[in-house]
This record gives sequence, C-alpha cells and structure tokens, in this order.
Amino acid sequence: MKQLSIPDARALLLRLATDKGVQLEVYAQRSSSTNIEAFAAEVSEFKLAKRSGVGLRVLQGGAWGYSYTENLSEAALERCFNDALENASLVAPEGFAALSAHAEPPHIGDLYGEGLSGVGVERKIAVALELERAARSADHRVVSVPYAAYTDGEEEIGVANTAGLARAYKSNYVATSAMPLVSEGNQSKSTYNWQFTREFETLDPTATSLEAVSRSLALLGATLPATGTYTAVIEARTMSTLLSSFSPLFSAKMVQEGKSPLAGKLGEPIGSACVTLRDDATRLGGYQSQPFDAEGYPSAPLTLIENGVLHSFLHNSETAAKDDTHSTGHASRYGYQGIVGVSPTNLFLEPGHTSRDALLHGISTGLLLTEVHGTHAGVNVFTGEFSLQADGFWIKDGAVTHALENFTVAGNFLELLQSIEALGDDLEFTPWTGTGAPSVRVTALAVGGA
Amino acid sequence: MLEQNLVSEVLRLARGGGAEFADLFVEDCVSSRLHLLNGHVKDISGGNDFGAGIRALYGTKVVYAYTNDLSREGLLEVAQAVARANGFAGEVDASGAGGLDFRVTNPKKLYRVSQHPLETRKADKLALARRAGAAARVGAVKTVDARYFDWVQRVLIANSDGDWVEDERVYSRLMVNAIAEDGTQRSNGFNGPGAGMGMEFFTGDAPEQTGAEAARIANAMLHAGFAPAGTIPVVIGNGFGGVIFHEACGHILETTAIEKKASVFADKIGQRIAHESLSAVDDGTIPGAWGSINVDDEGMPSQRTVLIENGILKNYLSDKVGEMKTGYARTGSGRRQNYTFAPASRMRSTEILGGPETPENLIKQVKYGLYARTMGGGSVSPGTGDYNFSVNESYIIRDGEICEAVRGAALVGNGARDLMNIVGVAGDLTRGQGMCGSVSGSIPTDVGQPHILISEITVGGRS
Repeated sequence: MKQLSIPDARALLLRLATDKGVQLEVYAQRSSSTNIEAFAAEVSEFKLAKRSGVGLRVLQGGAWGYSYTENLSEAALERCFNDALENASLVAPEGFAALSAHAEPPHIGDLYGEGLSGVGVERKIAVALELERAARSADHRVVSVPYAAYTDGEEEIGVANTAGLARAYKSNYVATSAMPLVSEGNQSKSTYNWQFTREFETLDPTATSLEAVSRSLALLGATLPATGTYTAVIEARTMSTLLSSFSPLFSAKMVQEGKSPLAGKLGEPIGSACVTLRDDATRLGGYQSQPFDAEGYPSAPLTLIENGVLHSFLHNSETAAKDDTHSTGHASRYGYQGIVGVSPTNLFLEPGHTSRDALLHGISTGLLLTEVHGTHAGVNVFTGEFSLQADGFWIKDGAVTHALENFTVAGNFLELLQSIEALGDDLEFTPWTGTGAPSVRVTALAVGGA
Repeated sequence: MLEQNLVSEVLRLARGGGAEFADLFVEDCVSSRLHLLNGHVKDISGGNDFGAGIRALYGTKVVYAYTNDLSREGLLEVAQAVARANGFAGEVDASGAGGLDFRVTNPKKLYRVSQHPLETRKADKLALARRAGAAARVGAVKTVDARYFDWVQRVLIANSDGDWVEDERVYSRLMVNAIAEDGTQRSNGFNGPGAGMGMEFFTGDAPEQTGAEAARIANAMLHAGFAPAGTIPVVIGNGFGGVIFHEACGHILETTAIEKKASVFADKIGQRIAHESLSAVDDGTIPGAWGSINVDDEGMPSQRTVLIENGILKNYLSDKVGEMKTGYARTGSGRRQNYTFAPASRMRSTEILGGPETPENLIKQVKYGLYARTMGGGSVSPGTGDYNFSVNESYIIRDGEICEAVRGAALVGNGARDLMNIVGVAGDLTRGQGMCGSVSGSIPTDVGQPHILISEITVGGRS
C-alpha cells in the first residue's frame, strides 16, 4: 500500500469533500525526534522517531464529524473520510459550527531557530553523557542518576479547509533533563531540572545537572510539618503547575457546558487586585507560541484577568459564535487524533517587582512550597478544589530553615487567587505546558502533616 | 500483517551494526470515541493508528526507531537508521546470511470476543452511552458527560531469535462524569468500567449501573464538608482502592526502577517488605480483564506473578532488558502504549488478595479516622518511595461507625513504610480500571483489592 505525501493526501481529501458537497478541514502533522538517555556513563537508550498523520473534521448538516489516520494510502484516506461523514451524521447539530478562511496570521520569527541539520549525533550523545556525569560526580551523596536525557524534535503543523484556508508552520526544540537520586542516612530524595531551547548551541548540560543536584540535596534532612494553616510562598514553578492544572476553568467550552465554576463571572473580581492573567501565543521565545491555532485562526495576545477582574474566557470559533463574540485564537487539538477544543498557549500570571527572597520577609512562621505531585488526580477543575502531595521548606522569621517532606497542601484555586498578597519578579515558564508564573505569597494554605 | 521475507530482511538490516538482538513491533489500531453531553451527541471521533517500531539491543543498550511508513522502503530506511545509531558508519550489508526461519506461535486466547466492536454499528454504541448518561441524571446532578470508547489493536511481534506472534486486543469502556449543583455548591462523581472484551461487556443493566454510580458519588459529596488534615487511620474501599498498592508498591517492583537501583525495594527479594497479612499478585491472565494480555509486547505469554506472599517480597515485574540487567526472569510484563514506545516492564492487573476480615470489622477497629470509599488516580517517585493518590468519596469514622461525608483529599505516604501499616485485609476483593502512565506510555491496567485498614497515613484535607 503506497503512502501518499501529506500535500497529496490533503489534496485528495479536499477533492473528496468538494465532490461530495461537504465542508472539510484537514489538520496535518509531521514530526521527528531524537531522544538519548544516559546511565552509568553509557548511552542506555537511543530513540529515533518519525510520525505523521491527518485529522479530518467534516461539517455536514451543521454537525462536525471527526476521524484520523496515520495510514496515508489512498484506500485508508477514503475510509477515513467516510468515517468522518458517518460520525457527522450521528452528531446533534448545534448551529454555530462553521469553517472559514480566517485573517492572515502574524509572523512569529523564533519558532525554528537555526535548525538541527548541522548537529551531528556524536554531539547529542556527548550532551546526554555530560548530563549524567555532571550529576553523578557532583556530590558524594548522589547515589545514581535514574534519568538523564537529551531530546530534540521538529514538527510541521498544517491546517487547510474547503473555505480556502491553507497554512502551515514549522517549529523545533532542543531539551535536556536530569533527575539525580541523593541519599543521606536512611533518607532518599530526588527532584529534576531541565533546559528547553530552540538552539542546540545554548545548551549547558553541566549547569542543568548541577542545579538538579543542588535542588535534590536541599530536600535532605526533611521532616514532616505539623498539620495547620500557614502563610505560604508558592515558588514560580509550582505556581505555574497549579495555574496550568486549573487553566480549563478559563475555557469558554467548559463554561458553556456548565462545567466551570467561573460561569457568569465575567466583569466580576475573582482574584486579589494584584492578579493579572494573560495569554499570548505571539510571545517572543514562548514555549507554546504559534502563528495560528488548530483551526487556522490567527494568534493574538489576550488579557483574561486584569487587576483581579475577569475580562475574558478562551474561545475558539464555535464557542465565540455561541457567545456572540470573536474567537481569541485558542482552538486546540491534541494532535490529529484529538477533537477541536479550547486551550491556553503561553498563559501567564503577570509578575510583580519583589524578589522571591523578599516575599519571605515578614513571615514569622510559614511555608515555601517548591513542588506538588499528582495533579492529574488531585485537582478538580469542576470545583476548583485541590489536595496534593508537596515538597517544600519551613520558613521562620523571614528565612528558610529546613526541608519538609511528604505532606499535603489543600485549598480551592479560586480562593487562592483571592489570597495572593504579593507577586515576585521571577516569572518562569514551564516548557511542556507553556504556562508561566512568578513566585507568589498567599495568606493561608492548609497543610496536612503530622 | 507483513510478509515473513520482508520482516526477515528488516531484522537482519537492523542488526547490521553489530546488535545481538533485534525485534519488530507492527501495529494497526482502530478506535472509536463517542461523547454525549446531557443526552446530546456532542462529538464522535476515532481513527487508525498505524506504524512499526524496530528495536536493536547492543548488550543492554537499546536503540529504538519507529515510522508510519510500512512500505518496504519505509521499513528498510528505519532499520538502517537503527543499525547506524550505535556509531556504525559503514555500508550496512543486508544480504549474505540466509533469512530467518520464523517459529509462528498462535497465542492462547484468554477470552473470546462475542460482539466485536468493528462489527457493531455506532448507533448501538451511542445507545449504550445514552443509557449510562440518562441513569446519572438523578438528584442534584445537572451536567452529565457520558463517553464510550473502544479500540482494536492488531499487532505483529517478530524478533531475530525467530519468534513470530500475531494477536488482536479488544478494549471497551464506558465513562460517566456527573456534576451536581445546589446554589454555589458543586461536586462531581466519576465511574469508568472497562474490559478486554467486546460489546458483550455491557449486557444487562451495566450501562445504567455505570451512570448511577457516578451520580451516587456526586450527590453524596454535594454538601460534604472538608476532609480532615493530618495523620490518622484510614479504611480504603475495595476495587479501585487498589490504586494505593499500584502506586505505593507496584511501580517500585518494575525492573525499570530496580535496574537503576532507583527503587526502595531493590535487592529485597525474600525479605519482609509488608505486614504479614498482605499478599499481592500482578495477574495478566484474568479472562476479559482490562489489564489482561494474551502475550506481552515482546511476544511472551502473559502470566500470574506473585509479588508479595504474607509480607515477603517474591518477584519483580520483568521484561527482556530488565532480565538482562537484573537477572530476574521475564514475567510477560513487557508492555507499551503503541509502536511509538519501546517496551518496558509494566503492571497488568495488580491486586491485594483477600484476607480473613470483613469490611465492618475493619471499620469497627477505628476510633477516629477516614473511610475512603472511592478513589481517583495517583503517582509515585520510585527512587524515594513517596507516593500519593486521590480520594473522591470519603466519610469520617467515629467510634467504629461511618459518619458524615467529607470532600476528596490526597492521601500521601512512603511505600517502604506504609506497606507495613496495612494491618487489616478483608475478603471482598474486586477490581477497578484505569490508564497507567509511565516510560512506555499509557496502558490499560486493573487495580484491585478488598477493603483494607491502614494504621496511619497522611490525609490532605483542610480541617
């Protein structure tokens, strides 16, 4: 079975749709990646990937029908198109579905860097080995380095439809990650660090690993905190994790489906006056920057919360039509396998002007929260509630005293937004979610411990 | 799925750089996903995953590459890339030595599908989801998502030792999420039974039961207060309650953790790691179970592996590379989400076996504590043994009686310590279904247990 190229597959599908008199959107994705893991001074795993596929969305009788295929033979493409038609025939029409050509997207210059074609595999292997070596030899308390990996990848995403839209963009990334296991007495600790960039030449595996080791070592000697409610500083990375976990609250799709507790709150204060939340897919250097969204709609910056007041939800074309507004360019798709939904891109909490350490000043007893675990189960996006395993440090008289382990933090994200009393100047973005936040000080956080 | 001659050529080429072993995993997977919101058909999707992964082993070093292009040219290009990835720069010679003489084995089928998803109309699948959703619209429930999923994965596994296995795996699942509302109060309940079966899994009133259970949880939690915070005794319910063992122990017994000494249970075979009342297995042979497999993704027949017997550690879960690195024999546990992952040692149906107690007796032993009746997911850091999982429905236990409902909370602990704290085990073993995410992707696994009593564990509430 001969495989068609993506442009040929797309042309065939659009022709099938035109012949049938239905509207069709084709979302095509082609990616390749290299992943090299090192363990005990050797390469332990070397992975090369090439993957491509097309996701179809037909519009017939006011209803969407989806289907996808990684088999790009003519027969498989026709089967996929017919599946999408059948699926549309079973879906309830909603009256807001439409495909259009959309305005021209902005140019985003830094998505592809210098590319990777000039980087030989030996240099990639050297990075993986250096990550592992630097972590292993950094301190006698390092037992092993269970994870040390170099990854790079390239991706091309294209959207085309029968209304005449046809656009594509390419992006790449280069990343390293290290997670040492450290031990002292009968206590073991492990946390990770990463670097994520578009330029191979900017990698610094030694620094990435040394930071992972120092973060892990800092957790040694941890004790269980006493159960109670404390003033807390939530470190930038952890605040970013919480924000990302609760980002569905801001989706107009969730609101319209009766699932977001923010329904009906537009124009109302939902956070303290120092809270401003934005999303900007055009952000220079943004991890999730993109010229257009999953239905080809051009990207633009958006303010969701300004000085505590909720200004906007995230929209795709369909949710916008339903609310009689414009799309904000947040149509998302979990690859060609997924359906079109709504997601943030580079969602971030605007930073303040205080250093992280200055946020600790004035706290007589409290908590510095440096990591939360289990967010896939411990956050409830229908209620805003969370209860999570955490790592952190005890704060006494404005300074960190010692590490804390295996405790919980619990609360409601909407109450948390209202209890933010200061924000740091240390805005940091998380590569795999695109979400960013500075460290924040909150007035009260419930802690479960001894 | 592919000609033996072509596979033979591909494997020979993949070993051309000096690898001792090579294997090929080919997959053609067809899925359907149906979603109803409040009885309206919201979206229907699905499709065809189609690709192959080639692995070469140089000692214990793994080289893995995959592609969607299953043409001869596509496969040979990937095999060539695998051969060169170990630094071999010369011209790979695939001719010469003769072709592989494959031993074709037909895997023993643990279960025979009677109503195949690929031969069932989507309208019939929609009807099931519709029934499940309708059954959830009771009490204060205002919003109901009902989802139906199935997928049929056809695989070919062949290797340079001459093994050749083809199999078909069929999965079906219903999932209902119910959101209850009363003024500003909100709560939700979830239920998602699945099986390694066809549509026959949903016979009788199974769809209605699925929806009713989600609604029961949402309604029970609507007016619940906050769970307590602190370290207290907890009775964990049966079925999906087994997620505690999956996180606190199961992941730490996979050779992927053991081989890097990144496990608190490394070098502990034959030693006591749990309370004497605890025995546990990882059983991949239960007919029709969500976590069962006829053969693993390295072509080895599945098995029932005893992990812990009366508190003593008996076995790890091992795959081919795990066996080479640790010396512990393969247990038919080499699994992966799809062709984009190399296989790794993973769980199948992991269960704490039934004990002598009754659930009522366990609850009677608690003066003040928590009854965690239904659970969500969790996670673990294998190197430290620190784990967490979420409780979705819970009640205060006071003086041996189940009292008021309290909202969900995380339970956190350390596997090495808490297995000693499972001090009571009832006899009412049941299983629950989930997707387990780890190094080789997201795979269907069962967790299971009877009611158990943990003498103390940290509860992440707010009061």
